[in-house]
Amino acid sequence: MTTFFQLVVVGLSTGSMFAIVGMSLVLVYRATGIVNFAQGVFAVLGGLLTYSLSQRMPLPLGAVLAALATAFVATLVAVVAVGIRGRTTHLASLIITVGIAILAEAALLAAFGEVPRSYSAVSDHAWDIGGVLVQPQYAVLALVALAAAIGLTLFLRHTIVGQALVASADSPRAAELIGLNLRSVAVIAFALAGALTATGGILLAPTVPLAYGSGLTITINGFAAAVFGGLASIRLALLGGYALGIVEQLVVGYVDPQYNLIIALLVMLVLIGWRSRGELAV
Amino acid sequence: MTLLALDGVTVRYGRAVAVDGVSLAVAEGERVALIGPNGAGKTSVVNAACGVVRPAGGRVLIEGEDVTGRTPSVVVRRGISQVPEGRHVFSSLPVEANLLLGAYGRVFRLEIVSSTLRYLRSRREVREQLDRIYDLLPKLHELRERPAGRTSGGEQQMVAIGRALMARPRLLAIDELSLGLAPVLVQSLAEFLVRLNDEEGVAILLVDQSASLAFSLCERAYVLETGRVALEGPSGDLAGRAEVKSAYLGGGSA
Repeated sequence: MTTFFQLVVVGLSTGSMFAIVGMSLVLVYRATGIVNFAQGVFAVLGGLLTYSLSQRMPLPLGAVLAALATAFVATLVAVVAVGIRGRTTHLASLIITVGIAILAEAALLAAFGEVPRSYSAVSDHAWDIGGVLVQPQYAVLALVALAAAIGLTLFLRHTIVGQALVASADSPRAAELIGLNLRSVAVIAFALAGALTATGGILLAPTVPLAYGSGLTITINGFAAAVFGGLASIRLALLGGYALGIVEQLVVGYVDPQYNLIIALLVMLVLIGWRSRGELAV
Repeated sequence: MTLLALDGVTVRYGRAVAVDGVSLAVAEGERVALIGPNGAGKTSVVNAACGVVRPAGGRVLIEGEDVTGRTPSVVVRRGISQVPEGRHVFSSLPVEANLLLGAYGRVFRLEIVSSTLRYLRSRREVREQLDRIYDLLPKLHELRERPAGRTSGGEQQMVAIGRALMARPRLLAIDELSLGLAPVLVQSLAEFLVRLNDEEGVAILLVDQSASLAFSLCERAYVLETGRVALEGPSGDLAGRAEVKSAYLGGGSA
């Protein structure tokens, strides 16, 4: 039984990461109608930048700078993806993000090398709860996911900026007519999502070392989490992330560690097949 | 005083010419119709006026100032709002958020902090405008918390009109008011527009396939055919012309 709970705890932690990426994907999709396949790259960039910066400055300062720098890179991705006038079609934008993800892998390899990087966690001391070990790092990641879910839900529902983002995806045509600048909307959404995903990557690296090629796995898991809510619901992306994290860890613990990405893909395909009878149209 | 003037505007999509040298004018407080069959280029004319499409030739003037090729946000700030064909409400947002965004769009820029501050500073003004819209269209007050996508076609047309009015326009351009709506609804919306024009002095540019609606609502009309102005004049004169009768009023049988 202890093994089971231990797997659940680890699952909740990796699941929090999936949830963070999933919610970032939902934010971008709800504002721009684009599925950003380069989202996982922002987690890797955040983690690797933090590692490099931490060689030269205190780790927390490096982490903050890395998150900000990643948000800036995300704004550049936004402009490339939606075009200078913000009018690239959604399908073309999606394919552009796939291209960016592939290019980014090569750029990350050139810039940071091929060695997976890690650095010290918030605390080396693990809590022992009835035989189940809980790393404080897990708790921080879970708290960030929860806070992001609450914050993003309130932001999209109750603030005028959040509503402007939602409006732009609902009807780009009408959004333009009321005077919204679609490119600005995309930049804001990508920057927020980029900062959030980078924060996730920065918090993940101490327990799961990140390398240049980790982005794709992170994107796929995040996408599977986001699909739980049809790419439209922050809350369901959070729950989807937790569920996916736990299921993957149980498979890793009881069946075979190699299966975890396959589980994510399987879950994603089943959900898309099931949901595509409904409103989801990617 | 001429509020909106199009001077020889041409619109092309690739090699296809949709609008070919159209000139038209709307004076302050005037009600003007733009009619014509499907595919005559009516929507392209309105979109060129509102900055949605960039004209390949000609000029768009608002109060004499050249705004050709400027973005829709510039046009909105100069006092021209459009109700798009097919209404295009923000379906997942509540009706009230749809209306508030109509005002917010004027101040929204890339600088998220400064535009939000500007919005918050003008919040009282926006609130007053919202109350006026609710006075004019009480139905919207009833529906204010419902997602706009879950209202009827007529209600969505009201949301789209209310949203456009939140920007305090001096000219309201309405693309296909009657499309897909029951005649009774169209009639009450038309009466509302006349009242809006009389009481608030908002000029109306009505784009519609229905000549009878356009003539009853507007003082003047332009008839568009394959991208060109075929006829123009006071509605009374045009309604009597044989060619308009046969083409748009159903040969007198309607």
